[in-house]
Amino acid sequence: MKETDLKRAYNNVLAQALSSSQQYLFSGNLFGDIFVLRLKELEKGTEEPPGKLKIFPQRSAVEINCLAFRRDFLIVGTVGVVYGLQWNEDDEKLSTNRLWEVKIPMQADAVEVPDVNSLWLSPDTDTLFAGCGDGIIYQISLEDGRVERDYRGHTDYVHSVVGNSNGQIFSGAEDGTVRVWTTKQKEQTSMIEPYTTPKLHRPDWGKWIGSVAVNDDWLLCGGGPRASIFHLRSLESTCVLDFPGGVHVCDFVDDGVFIGGEHNHVQSYTLNGALQANIPVEHTACYSIVWQTSPIKIMSIAGFSNRLHILKDFRFLDSKIDLYGNVEGEDDAAEGDEEELEEIESFKCSAA
Amino acid sequence: MEAILNTQFQELEDIIGEILKVKKSGQNSDTLRTAAALKFVALKHANREVKQKIKSGRDNLHLEKCKVDISRLQLQNLLYEVSHLKKDIVRCEKFQSGDSKFVLLSDTEYFTKLPGLEDSKVKPESEHYKHLQRLECELRLRKDLDKQKSSLKNSKKELQQENLKQHNRYVSFVPALRTLKSATKPLHDALQLSLDVEWKLSAVVKYLPKPLYILFINLQCLQRVSDEPSFNVEVVGYESEAQMQELTNLKQNPKARRDYSERDIELSGKPEENPLNKELSPHPLHIRITLGSAGSIQLVLIIRYFEQIKCATAWPQLSISNNTNHQGDTNFVQHLLRHLFPNDLGNEIPIPGIQYDLQNKDLTPEECIQYLESKDFGKAYCWLQSICSIPTVNSSMLYKHELNLNKSMRETIARITRRWNSWLNLSQQIRGLTNKDIDLYALKENVYPAALSCSLVQWTAITLEEFLAQNSDVLKISPDDKGITYNSYRAVIVRGSAKMECFIRIPSNYPLEMPLWILSVHWNGRRTSQNNAAIKMMEYWTNSLQPQQLEENYCILYAQLFRTIYSFDIFLETEGSMQATIEYTKEKPYISAFAKRCRLRPYKYIKKGSVHAFKQ
Repeated sequence: MKETDLKRAYNNVLAQALSSSQQYLFSGNLFGDIFVLRLKELEKGTEEPPGKLKIFPQRSAVEINCLAFRRDFLIVGTVGVVYGLQWNEDDEKLSTNRLWEVKIPMQADAVEVPDVNSLWLSPDTDTLFAGCGDGIIYQISLEDGRVERDYRGHTDYVHSVVGNSNGQIFSGAEDGTVRVWTTKQKEQTSMIEPYTTPKLHRPDWGKWIGSVAVNDDWLLCGGGPRASIFHLRSLESTCVLDFPGGVHVCDFVDDGVFIGGEHNHVQSYTLNGALQANIPVEHTACYSIVWQTSPIKIMSIAGFSNRLHILKDFRFLDSKIDLYGNVEGEDDAAEGDEEELEEIESFKCSAA
Repeated sequence: MEAILNTQFQELEDIIGEILKVKKSGQNSDTLRTAAALKFVALKHANREVKQKIKSGRDNLHLEKCKVDISRLQLQNLLYEVSHLKKDIVRCEKFQSGDSKFVLLSDTEYFTKLPGLEDSKVKPESEHYKHLQRLECELRLRKDLDKQKSSLKNSKKELQQENLKQHNRYVSFVPALRTLKSATKPLHDALQLSLDVEWKLSAVVKYLPKPLYILFINLQCLQRVSDEPSFNVEVVGYESEAQMQELTNLKQNPKARRDYSERDIELSGKPEENPLNKELSPHPLHIRITLGSAGSIQLVLIIRYFEQIKCATAWPQLSISNNTNHQGDTNFVQHLLRHLFPNDLGNEIPIPGIQYDLQNKDLTPEECIQYLESKDFGKAYCWLQSICSIPTVNSSMLYKHELNLNKSMRETIARITRRWNSWLNLSQQIRGLTNKDIDLYALKENVYPAALSCSLVQWTAITLEEFLAQNSDVLKISPDDKGITYNSYRAVIVRGSAKMECFIRIPSNYPLEMPLWILSVHWNGRRTSQNNAAIKMMEYWTNSLQPQQLEENYCILYAQLFRTIYSFDIFLETEGSMQATIEYTKEKPYISAFAKRCRLRPYKYIKKGSVHAFKQ
């Protein structure tokens, strides 16, 4: 199987981000390619097919774990490093040089370079929170790229970091805990362990927490244990959501919640736990949901497949957009492929 | 006038009568005589007047006559003209323009060839005017074509002259060679080269048709030059048959033109098979190339030449010396030649202009190909024509005439040998897997010391339908059909209560494409790449194995199997760590069971110095 076909068959998109101009959607995969989609293309009439995507391969094919967007640069979280790339809106070009780069400090006892699994940007301050593979959350100042402090406590790697307007930080990790932090205290302020609750525990699924979401009053989390909504102040589970698979992504959308993961549907529930929408997806597992309501109301679901799923009304699937095979300038590249293959073959054989 | 004359005569008579009376009476008649004389004057006057009148009358008459004559003449002219015009009309009526017989260009073609005219035609002209313009353009085109034709004719003539010149040089070359040979005779003797023996060997060879002769001589040269020839080439057939063929050809040729029409009529009544048999009989001599060392499986290429379609065909065969089971292999060997070069599947006769030649014989290229296929004569690949120095035109109408025969032949033979070796290697692997006599530890991807916990319990061939029933995403990506066919196998790997089915598809253009694996795990329900990301990752890890990552003399299937088995081990061990009842304990050296948001398993094997570990 050729490399391009292989990439199409096993494209795993872990991260998506929307530009601050709300006109572009970025998605990054484990092959180290960032795709850029013009959201305007989706607004066009149904007759003409949407235009092709742009692709910006990252150097030495780093695995893109998470993405965020701030002002005019895209923040990429990969293995051991967070870096920013300038996005030129006029030329629709992502710079190849890293604008800035922040290395995640290696712990003394670490054997592996930690992944950056989750990024959360505090909307008021220029502060970035990065949940990492060593179980530590790093607070990075975007002013000078300094690691301001870290939040230690998780015993396994962090899946998800989010914060709310009260200055609270929430993190879900592989160790099965959701921990709550504030910027003012060194230690965590409180902790939930959903797998210890019998109504949430699923014996064969593990205890990991794949995703956490918060709004002003509620916290939503899930993973190996069932997805559930907690009240922020009491930290009591008020409602159990019946999502059948492992939860990798969840979010509060409008006045409901969206849940995706290792299941062939993405589901939307009301805060009372009633199923509102059941959206079939092609992904083996969903890893990313991004959405905005203006100027274009759009939701994009990405995961372990070569297609982005686009929803315009947050209820029904609107369209699917191919990633590999739908990229500007790809046809020319494919031409050269065959010769290369032959060359390799002859090289191998002459060596033999 | 008459009346005047009459009165005057009357008066004169009267006067003369009176004079007579007077004379008789004897009186003086002088006054009377004067009167009479005077009368004569008047008479004379009248007479002149009469004459004048007569003359003028005659003049008038003449004038009128002239007029009449002229108008008569005009009339006759007109009559003549009328009859002439009538004739013309009839001729015009009978006239028919030849342009109706022309096949003009279609509208679109016309506009594309003469784009300038399109704009001037904003207002619709009359149909006739348009037609005229079309005809003019046709004329121009034809003139162009005529020019081209004449230039081609010229170049043809030049080429012929060139040819003649070269031929003359070539002819003069023979005596020169002969003198050279006789001059170097002592040297031959000194070096103990026996030229005569070799000459005998080529006695059959000289009856070979030209392309095969070129092929044979070149191959033989290659064979002699290399110390350890990877192939053996020989001419098969009888000298006598070739001689017979040549004679019959000579006899038939002068006649051929004459009895064409007769034969056509004859043939139309006979069954279809006959003309093909007659037209597509191979030359009695053919070339046999044997690849591979004696004692093991050898690849035999039988190369025949067809006079009528001017191309050579190759039919591959297996020569099996020992009695091992090689079912399915013969099928595979056909594909070996099809995928040698891209877009050269041998589905057409790649000779320029062959379809016109065949049309004259009421045949189509498709019929010929089918016939060749059915008679096991093989296919007319472009690469084969190329090493026989036959110019070819491939399916995308690309003309190619290989002139650097030495290089192309070396390359082609080397390529066939390489493919053959890799295929041989593959088929050995398949046999090894089917019989389960494999040693994974000797043939693994990277040196991984610890034991594998899973074991391969079954390897069987399945049909393509069974394979396609797996319904995986990977199968939806089939970029373009390049005439590739597939062989499918099913492997079962077991560890404890867990079972994994692997569906393997081996493409016929191996090693251009690698075998594709589709995995399906039966353990706590069926898990495939459709519903489990960990399995999909595992599948990717197996399928992403490229020969570049392996050592020399790799065995791709073994390496893939090895990778699949340890991946399955890791899957079970990592998955098992979460289970309530622990069936599989951690045996592999990995640092963390999961990483990243997608909970990747540590399938990748790394070796850094003395540290062996699996990681994500």
